[in-house]
Amino acid sequence: MARVKIDNVFKRYGALQVMHGVNVDIEDGEFVVLVGPSGCGKSTLLRMLAGLEQISDGTISIGERVVNDVPPKERDISMVFQSYALYPHKTVAENIGFPLKMAKRPKSEIQEKVNHAASILDLAHLLDRYPKQLSGGQRQRVAMGRAIVRNPQVFLFDEPLSNLDAKLRVSMRVEIKELHQRLGTTIVYVTHDQIEAMTMADKIVVMRDGRVEQIGAPLDLFDRPESVFVGGFIGSPSMNFLHGTVSSQEGRQVFRTDGGLALPMPQAGLADGHQVTYGIRPEHIAIGDEGVPVNIVVTEPTGSETQIFARVDNDLINAVVRDRIYARPGEQVGFVIDPANVHLFDRQTERRL
Amino acid sequence: MQSKFLGWALLAPTLLILALFGVVPFIYVLFVSFHQWNPFGANPDMLFNWAGNYRKLVFDAQFLASLGVTAAFVFFAVLSELVLGYALAQALMRDFPGKAFFRTIHTLPLIMAPIIVGSVWKLMTTPSIGIIPNILSNWLGYDLNIGQSAWQAFATTVIMDIWHWTPLVTLTLIAALVSLPADPFEQAQIDGANRRQIFWHITLPMIRPAILATVFIRMMDAMRTVDEVLMLTGGGPGSATRYVGVHIFKEVFPRTNYGYGSAVSVIVLYLTIVVCWLMYVGLIAPRNKGKG
Ligand SMILES: Nc1ncnc2c1ncn2[C@@H]1O[C@H](COP(=O)(O)OP(=O)(O)OP(=O)(O)O)[C@@H](O)[C@H]1O
Ligand SMILES: [Mg+2]
Repeated sequence: MARVKIDNVFKRYGALQVMHGVNVDIEDGEFVVLVGPSGCGKSTLLRMLAGLEQISDGTISIGERVVNDVPPKERDISMVFQSYALYPHKTVAENIGFPLKMAKRPKSEIQEKVNHAASILDLAHLLDRYPKQLSGGQRQRVAMGRAIVRNPQVFLFDEPLSNLDAKLRVSMRVEIKELHQRLGTTIVYVTHDQIEAMTMADKIVVMRDGRVEQIGAPLDLFDRPESVFVGGFIGSPSMNFLHGTVSSQEGRQVFRTDGGLALPMPQAGLADGHQVTYGIRPEHIAIGDEGVPVNIVVTEPTGSETQIFARVDNDLINAVVRDRIYARPGEQVGFVIDPANVHLFDRQTERRL
Repeated sequence: MQSKFLGWALLAPTLLILALFGVVPFIYVLFVSFHQWNPFGANPDMLFNWAGNYRKLVFDAQFLASLGVTAAFVFFAVLSELVLGYALAQALMRDFPGKAFFRTIHTLPLIMAPIIVGSVWKLMTTPSIGIIPNILSNWLGYDLNIGQSAWQAFATTVIMDIWHWTPLVTLTLIAALVSLPADPFEQAQIDGANRRQIFWHITLPMIRPAILATVFIRMMDAMRTVDEVLMLTGGGPGSATRYVGVHIFKEVFPRTNYGYGSAVSVIVLYLTIVVCWLMYVGLIAPRNKGKG
């Protein structure tokens, strides 16, 4: 168990700079999830934490110790690679038990822990197989098992559940949370999955192009995204964005799209004519006669909810409603928007207003 | 039917060449080995003498001794080549100035014909004119005379073989090391393995197939070394370096004892197969079980 401090870290591959001054503070025992689009540097950051990648500038400390020059084996971390990295010549049991064997633990203890991990991960019947005889999801679970047989200072997980089917993913998610609660070990977890990020994290770090975009508790990020990027990235289906200006109408300020449609917005004291990006989440749009009239392009009933796509200016706006809406394409409906749910961003800087 | 015919037709040239240069000579040697045949002797005819050559061979002290020294020669040469070859391969995996140059230079022995290697080493080790005895006696006060000391002669043949063939081992091991995935090694570091543990638990098992293939090739080659040793020591002093290949050569050519020489060849081939089979059963087969 340990604090992890990533302080102004840069990473360069020759002339190519992929990490531009990243700062993340991770409390002891915290569950931190790294999210961001592909190629933004999540794996690189994890590999730097593990010591597999040199840091070009800045410091990383685990516990109170600066680990910039500490080799991986002395950092006391467990890691699940995005590519599983199983030992091809070892059986599942040998793979899982490898860290314990390297630590010269007694055979009986190794066997007991391997069996325990295997039962958690539903691998008990596969212990004698070799990695190439396993499916992708099974390999991933072996990698997971190898990470959890130890009791390290920090767990590093790089998309550990990406290859599992939906059902297994849910149960593994619960297992990992349970593991975290039981051991209280600091976890840094990379994922593409919104639900994993929202449900597991104490703290989410949103990354973009080698920079930290925003750090915060899941619901804070959801409720108060600091930028257009975070607003669009967190939440599924993602936030709708419209471009326009602030203007006054009947003593109230409204958002006027470039195409001239007026939408309600919070009275934020902005100057008329301010160029803004207007963000509204699909689930915050209701359907009602009193709403802003829009033309339906397509409706997608999924059973529990209905997704409605409507055209506003040249953008498609997505609304998700609980009711079954039987509207035809081309029909007009009203979008009801509560100004409290609207996010306003500066159009130039894309930062929250 | 047609495709079957076509298949055989396409294979025919290969089979023909194999039969012509492989099977026919082998059968001929087998045939000769059951005869007494000395075409330049008192009776130049081929006389069928059942298994007489083989019976003689079992009691031939010189042959049995040659088997012994061959085994020692193969063991020391191949083991050293493996260790040295691995060390060189690892060194060549790193970057250092002049790496490309060294890599080219170090493979040069491979392209030399054994007979040349033998004569060069003979030149280098001849007492009083050779560079090696000179250096050894001037700098270390050590006398090297492979014409007199049995064990010096033996050691020199081993060293010559190492000099000649280590690059082959290095090349195959480099090929194996280069093709290894990086992941397991990174994972092993994270799993807390130190360098020694990584070598024994990860590197070695993963390049095992390449190591075994190299050892097989080198063993079979070393067992039938003739020309280099013949050139360097002529099998002497005494029979200190009379390896089976040399033994056969000396039986067949100076003494024109074709029948007996053929029998020795057949037995050596048989022993080679047995050794390889034992190694296969002992080292490869058990590991492949369950690997699918
Ligand atoms: N060895 C390398 N040399 C040069 N560039 C690299 C190297 N490794 C990674 N990069 C670059 O660094 C950036 C970050 O890569 P990284 O693997 O961390 O992305 P990621 O966020 O994990 O993406 P994904 O979600 O697809 O796994 C990428 O633009 C990648 O091209
Ligand atoms: Mg990645």
